[in-house]
Amino acid sequence: MTFTQFLQQLLNGLSIGSVYAIFALGYTLVFSILGVINFAHGAVFTLGAYFTYTLMGGVFSFNGLLANASVPVELPFALALIMGALLAGLMGVLIERVAFRPLRKRGADPLLSLVSSLGIAIMIPNLIQYLVGAEIYTFPASAYGGLPAAINFGTIENPVPVRSTQVVIFAVSVVILVILTYLIGYTRFGKALRAVAEDATTASLLGINTDRYILLTFFLSGFLGGVAGTLVGSSVSIAGPYFGLAFGLKGLAVIVLGGLGSIPGAVVAGLVIGLAEAFVPSQYSGYKDAVAFAILFIVLLVRPRGLFGRTLLQKV
Amino acid sequence: MNEAITETVAEPAQTDETVILKVNQVSRRFGGLVAVNNVSFSVQEGEIFGLIGPNGAGKTTLFNVITGLIPASSGNLIYKGENITRRSPHRIASKGIARTFQNIRLFGNLTALENVMIARHVHGRAGILSGVFGLPAARNEERATQQRALELLNLVGLGNRADENARNFAYGDQRRVEIARALALDPTLLLLDEPAAGMNSNEKADLSQFIRELRHRFNLTIVLIEHHVPLVMGLCDRIAVLDFGLLIALGDPAKVQNDPGVIEAYLGAE
Amino acid sequence: MAEFFATYGFLIVSMVLAAVLALSLYVPLMAGQLSLASPGFYALGGYITAVMSTKMLTYDSETFPIPFVLLEMLVAGLACGVLALIVGIPALRLRGIYLALATIAFVEIVRVLALNLEITGGAIGIFGIPQPFNTQIEYLWVAGPLLLITMLFVYRLERIRAGRAFLAIREDELAADAMGIDPTTNKVLAFTMGAILAGVVGALSAHFINTWNARQGTFDASIALLAFVLIGGSRTFLGPVVGGMALTALPEILRTLSGAGSLPAWLGEFMKDGRFIIFGVLLVIGTVFLPHGFIGPNLFSGSRGRKESRPLP
Repeated sequence: MTFTQFLQQLLNGLSIGSVYAIFALGYTLVFSILGVINFAHGAVFTLGAYFTYTLMGGVFSFNGLLANASVPVELPFALALIMGALLAGLMGVLIERVAFRPLRKRGADPLLSLVSSLGIAIMIPNLIQYLVGAEIYTFPASAYGGLPAAINFGTIENPVPVRSTQVVIFAVSVVILVILTYLIGYTRFGKALRAVAEDATTASLLGINTDRYILLTFFLSGFLGGVAGTLVGSSVSIAGPYFGLAFGLKGLAVIVLGGLGSIPGAVVAGLVIGLAEAFVPSQYSGYKDAVAFAILFIVLLVRPRGLFGRTLLQKV
Repeated sequence: MNEAITETVAEPAQTDETVILKVNQVSRRFGGLVAVNNVSFSVQEGEIFGLIGPNGAGKTTLFNVITGLIPASSGNLIYKGENITRRSPHRIASKGIARTFQNIRLFGNLTALENVMIARHVHGRAGILSGVFGLPAARNEERATQQRALELLNLVGLGNRADENARNFAYGDQRRVEIARALALDPTLLLLDEPAAGMNSNEKADLSQFIRELRHRFNLTIVLIEHHVPLVMGLCDRIAVLDFGLLIALGDPAKVQNDPGVIEAYLGAE
Repeated sequence: MAEFFATYGFLIVSMVLAAVLALSLYVPLMAGQLSLASPGFYALGGYITAVMSTKMLTYDSETFPIPFVLLEMLVAGLACGVLALIVGIPALRLRGIYLALATIAFVEIVRVLALNLEITGGAIGIFGIPQPFNTQIEYLWVAGPLLLITMLFVYRLERIRAGRAFLAIREDELAADAMGIDPTTNKVLAFTMGAILAGVVGALSAHFINTWNARQGTFDASIALLAFVLIGGSRTFLGPVVGGMALTALPEILRTLSGAGSLPAWLGEFMKDGRFIIFGVLLVIGTVFLPHGFIGPNLFSGSRGRKESRPLP
């Protein structure tokens, strides 16, 4: 491999890795506050992509209930991304209300919310398929505005071209990560969130409205999922209603590697898995998708709590 | 603060053959908190040994360490001469240590009989295939298991309710089922965690008598955690007192009752 | 009669196979383990059959010999059993959620391997799998006994020492441990039994469906199975059987009825494409409204024959 190729793989890996990180954080936020995995997260990812596509004036094809439909707006990418992600966040809230809250109020076994979120996970892609068909939708070519197709990271003599989509993805992800870090680490909102995550009972005794914070967490989680979905959908394509499934499952590998409930873990693990995938030799490219899951297995074998996870004690 | 006892100076002479359980400088830390702090004592074969102390003193944690549910941070445990410190709970159970739980942990959706039968697991040998096909050896074993379980339920006075789901029993009865279940293990050492909780004084007296009978009938050594001091004083041969994870007194009831440190610990708590 | 079987043969056998698959989820559930791995073992079993029957076994008769089918089912069962140990042991040492994650990963890895390996025919899969029977309904000769044997096995399992250990773990793993039951060994056992069942069903299904590819046995399928067990009721082993059969048959029945004009057309169309939407909805409603949920308590209550618990005279 030449140095140029190496650099390209590296940047590709970081780019997709940063999206994995953002997406995985959606899982992490919910897990750290409720101790459960929201299996519907992949569905929110998918919805985010579809929402943004629609908001950018995308048209749906002839299959499905909403054949040939489109919304009479055509927003620029940045705006559509934000709005799409906001809508995804609202979906996250809806999911919390429907699939998680009733079980929590009942004091049910946490494993049950897993099952109900699985129900949502299977419902949404099929609903999407029913409404708009299973076609592949690509974002308009000039989605990102006037950027050139590739950006040169090297010099004129030794060019290292990287697709501008990768750069945009990475840039957006970094921005989001910075904002999130600030939000969680330095604001009152973040402090309250961490308090609820640490000990919900005490937090509510201290006057923190735990229900509201759980709701906000799901909103945030959905927002992140929507951003990730839009980034992937816009840079590659929306490969049908199930394109969030594989991503959703890989996100699980990310949080296992990073350690369930660990925010820095999700970021580091996301980048690691992104890089691992990028460096799969091209003759084995078909196996790329299995890399994340192989990593998951190895982690379970060798160090179940992942990179940054804490060993949780069982109550006796 | 009370002085911790680190030597067993006041204990009567013990030979190793008669010591069933030796707790040797056992500590258990949770992050910064020390729940059990360098506790040492020995339990003689056949004695009824009491473990008392104010709430949060570390008594249940010590039970959990002994039975392997929680690993000791340091120190070791010798049971019948064997080091059981890092063993898993089911291994320890199979060696003859049975327990009840402070918060009663019965298998709620199974019947009382099934609850007790389950504790016979280690004494069973029938494999899945012979069980499923109903081979004679398996059927006989199943019959024997049922028989034994019913006997134990009768012993605690609940034989007539063997087929009811455990969760439907009243609190006190659940305790009794739990004891029957623990006995089903055919243990040598029985650990009872607050067996008298929620009982009135008549019931407590009955329980005392019952525990004495158990010791006699099954050749048991019994360690019990208990809050109710009079019960403990009347029942136990020797008592260990924990406070904030430290062992602050050890000896027969009279000695412990008059120990100033113990009085202070309890007056302070109550 | 013959016409009925010709039309509905496929459906009937599908129902029977779905029931066995649902039981393959039920067995780990008896030990409190939520395993989403059945589709992976199902896919593997199917591939073993597909490869063995198209590339390895030769035969003279017109139809594929039934003993060969049974052989394939045996091989599939063994292979899945071994693989279950490899997948299960690392995962079952840990908390319940890790098994769900490990099994999801397992299904995905199988899917990717199936798509890429030459022996599995890549994305196209394997076609033209030989048929041991001339009509679909005749598969009942193998599927029927398979279901009955499995049902009998699970029924007995609940009443013997080994099954009680599973239930104890499901009820309270820590207490079970303290009563002498090794949680990991028993969980692995339950998981492995489920895997073997799923693999055997897969092996038979490959013949039944005639082709096999990476679209058999997916994440969606895991969730559908969950719905079978949940809706059928997890009070006894009959629940998954009923659930599997009912949820397989219902969409077809509704579709037929709507085709015949008894029901609005859109409902029929919806049943065809939207069955998974319904499964999803059922899962959500089921977990939210069932009084005690289904994984924890309430897998058992009075409906079992209590009389067997009475001591023999």
